[in-house]
Amino acid sequence: MMRYRLEKRPEPSKLMLYGTPVAAVVLTMILGCLLFSAIGYNGLRAVQEIFLTPLTNPYKWQDLGIKAAPLIIIGTGLSVAYRANVWNIGAEGQYIIGALAATGVALMTWGMSGWWILPVMAIAGMAAGMAYASIPAFLKTRLNVNEILTSLMLTYASVQLIYYLIRGPWKDPMGIGFPQSRLFSEAARLPNIIPGTIVHLGVPIAVIVALIAWFVMSKTVFGYRMRVVGAAPHAARYGGFSETRTIWLAMLVSGGLAGLAGMLEVAGPFQRMVPGFPTNYGFTAIIVAFLGRLNPLGVIVAGVVLAITFVGGQVAQTTIGLPDEATGIFQAMMLFLLLAGDILVRYRIRRVSPEASVGAA
Amino acid sequence: MTLSRRGFIKVGGAAMTLPLLGGTAFGQAEKLKIGFIYVGSINDNGYNYAHNQGRLYVEENLGDAVETVFVENVPEGPDCERVVRELAQQGCKLIFATSFGFGDSVIKVAPEFPDVAFEHATGYMKADNVGLYNARFYEGRAVCGVIAGHMSQTAKAGYIGSFPIPEVVMGINSFVLAARQVNPEFTITPVYISTWNDPAKEADAARAMIDQGIDIIAQHTDGPAALQVAADRGIVGGFGQGADMSAFAPDTQLTAIIDHWGPHYLASAKAVLEGTWAPGDTWEGLKEDVVQMGPYHSKVPADVVTAAEAMRTGQIDGSVHIFTGPINDHTGTERVAAGVTMTDAELLSMDWYVEGVIPPA
Amino acid sequence: MDLTIAILVTVVGASTPILIAALGELVVERSGVLNLGVEGMMLLGAIAGFVVQFHTGNHYLALICGAAAGMAASLIFGFLTLSLSANQTATGLALTIFGTGFSALAGASYSARPVTLMSPIFPELAAHPVLRVIFGYSFPAYFAIFMVFAIWFFLKRTRAGLILRAVGENDLSAHSIGYSVVKVRYFAVMFGGAMAGIAGACFPLTLTPQWAEGMTAGRGWIAVALVVFASWRPFRLLGGAYLFGLVMTMELYAKAGGGPLSAIPSELWAALPYIATIVVLVLISLRRDASTNAPACLGKPFMPSN
Repeated sequence: MMRYRLEKRPEPSKLMLYGTPVAAVVLTMILGCLLFSAIGYNGLRAVQEIFLTPLTNPYKWQDLGIKAAPLIIIGTGLSVAYRANVWNIGAEGQYIIGALAATGVALMTWGMSGWWILPVMAIAGMAAGMAYASIPAFLKTRLNVNEILTSLMLTYASVQLIYYLIRGPWKDPMGIGFPQSRLFSEAARLPNIIPGTIVHLGVPIAVIVALIAWFVMSKTVFGYRMRVVGAAPHAARYGGFSETRTIWLAMLVSGGLAGLAGMLEVAGPFQRMVPGFPTNYGFTAIIVAFLGRLNPLGVIVAGVVLAITFVGGQVAQTTIGLPDEATGIFQAMMLFLLLAGDILVRYRIRRVSPEASVGAA
Repeated sequence: MTLSRRGFIKVGGAAMTLPLLGGTAFGQAEKLKIGFIYVGSINDNGYNYAHNQGRLYVEENLGDAVETVFVENVPEGPDCERVVRELAQQGCKLIFATSFGFGDSVIKVAPEFPDVAFEHATGYMKADNVGLYNARFYEGRAVCGVIAGHMSQTAKAGYIGSFPIPEVVMGINSFVLAARQVNPEFTITPVYISTWNDPAKEADAARAMIDQGIDIIAQHTDGPAALQVAADRGIVGGFGQGADMSAFAPDTQLTAIIDHWGPHYLASAKAVLEGTWAPGDTWEGLKEDVVQMGPYHSKVPADVVTAAEAMRTGQIDGSVHIFTGPINDHTGTERVAAGVTMTDAELLSMDWYVEGVIPPA
Repeated sequence: MDLTIAILVTVVGASTPILIAALGELVVERSGVLNLGVEGMMLLGAIAGFVVQFHTGNHYLALICGAAAGMAASLIFGFLTLSLSANQTATGLALTIFGTGFSALAGASYSARPVTLMSPIFPELAAHPVLRVIFGYSFPAYFAIFMVFAIWFFLKRTRAGLILRAVGENDLSAHSIGYSVVKVRYFAVMFGGAMAGIAGACFPLTLTPQWAEGMTAGRGWIAVALVVFASWRPFRLLGGAYLFGLVMTMELYAKAGGGPLSAIPSELWAALPYIATIVVLVLISLRRDASTNAPACLGKPFMPSN
């Protein structure tokens, strides 16, 4: 009888590091195909529509860009934070608060024009996201309160703030009583960058943000410090790196980027604040960060993959009647498989004969 | 630059027709493809369920002449925009966006597809190829109000709403106006729960109202939760909303307001088939069979059924309009003079409560 | 008086599922594992409970199957995080996404079907105007309270409980004195899954006898908050659950009855449990009393350097 055991690799495997996400996606397609065939759908078509149609149909590319942009921006921030072992899972809240701050600027400058309005909105969005993320940062560094829990709680509070503002002080005077803000003026809307498409300025910003983050994390002392603190906090302390400062930086970067994503989203596709603004980008970006291996370049790819499943999921609804829930199931499977594959990065599977294992014991 | 977009469409169109070739055997006349976009699940037993029934009604009546597709659980904002575009691009020549929050997306996408007819439910923004449609649910509320006025022993009703939008305010007012024609002491308490889908909260809201003396319950949220609590507590009764909910509360549902979008959808589909479609602004009700009343429960006394039927038929033949003055607001100030009927525009932006409503803070 | 009793009865109903789910999560977290998949496991428990009740009419069987569904889902989480040392935060979130999607898919054909609520255990006393505040509930309410005592006893007074706490406080030393950290955590995670499943099944069985997509509507996250709010102690959890239930319910009673409380915006009511949890977290840490703090190993994978 053959037995298998896990053996720690002397060094994380590069092949597995980049191979497992690909394997996770491929395995998701296979398992998804089987699962949906088993419950009476055309599984092959389901996989085809969800994963391939958005890629093969050029008209869908603009949708992918728009859907991926906020995921990439938030995911980049989160990957920086997670690298430093700071578990900000409240990006959704920071995204919302960023968007609310930008909305505030847009409403205050309503009817005005000027190139400065959008930059002010962006700064307000980032500052608000940072401010919101600084609550868990403060509590963590000063009082050692778990940042996972505080950032999560703050997310739920922020959703209520949207409802309150658009039901009360920010209600659209022209909206026949519906809870939503008024439509932003032209100057507060993101310009389209490719005429005739819906691709807005947020898409290139997302890519630039990820590239800058990649450069900073892999090529600068700052990035090195963040990674060291994350990988070995004790060693870092001896090396003179401040854990407190790292936590603050990680929180501010991830919160600020989430806030920026919120600003771009409300000024781009939404152009007003509505109750349906929170669409879990902040949570989905956690999947993106992991699928992208906490590497900003990987995050770009992962953001596009997630966008494909969203866009393709809706295609599959109309073409083969696949229920909406399928998208979530595919995404969860993908993350499950990726996390399961993580172990192969640090360990290798060794086949051992019974004698050898007895001998080893 | 427009050239590049045409290129986009052409390539996209070709890619999209390929998988469809298998479905449409050659030699058949071209079917009219109709798209439906729902904000929630078709299994919600309420609003979205009713729209989907309307879709099936069209299929039943037009058979092979049409093909319908739908996308459920579509969030407002960029996701909706993508779905609208997706459906138009897949060849839908008639698209129904069935929720208020879809308005911005439809208005944005419609100019890109001038040969597609769009219809937006409960909205207020029209365009060259965007029509509006709505249903006079308040007419059904008035029928319910008559029954409530007769049957309530405490002369107090409760009304569970999601958000205080004009549609909901109008329904509450209609209900209490009708009830007070029967019993001038009648009052109604609205409770807003700030969500469309949280059945446990709806049920607790119903409990809270029943514990404080109401014995008739009505709701403007999807689903039968409130009705089931009414059944459990054995109060006088409640009303189904959106669909006949008697299966959930066979001894408690006095009647139901049934959203019957079928006739409207059928008429629009026929108009598109015949090439006579023009963007309308329809607000149909009992008369056009778009609002229906469910069966009266056997415990509703015969004279009450007669009174309710009088209200129903009166609204059908036009002899009764529930919003005819004199109408006072909840502070007792006259808002509509005797003999004057409120205009549709006034109704659609109604943000004040009539006498008899105990206004929420 | 009558109204007070009526309010309390509703509060107990609303609090019970949160309490049950939070009790399970408390044990999980005490063993050093953070499972953020509570909401997903609750939804799986809800649909399983609903389907079984619909087909068999047996409420107790439905609760058991709800527990089984939650436990099965927790095994996915356990396998990934314990056997494969995957990140707990990400796995928990994936579990919630999975549970939400899978329950909706499984329940699609059950939406227009009503079931019946569980009846009170003491039907005569449940009709009494005053005594119903104590005796007016169906099985889960008493089960929840029993479990508060049972878990308190287990953690404080049994050897197994001691081991579980040791594993949560310092997994490496627990490992070095010969306890199987992974095995202990597996049991804790499975227990948490079963409790979340029961909590989910309470929705169609005790609160609103129907199936609706996403019907737990975020209560799983409130349960996670509650564990923190209670600083990982069973009796504080009991009080905290009723307090959260009171906050959620008072909003509705205040709005239905008028009075000064009805002037508070509903958004503030809805945000209150989360804000309160943060405040409590801060208060706990200000006390600098080590024993009231979070389990030291919470959320960190067990990595013996073999």
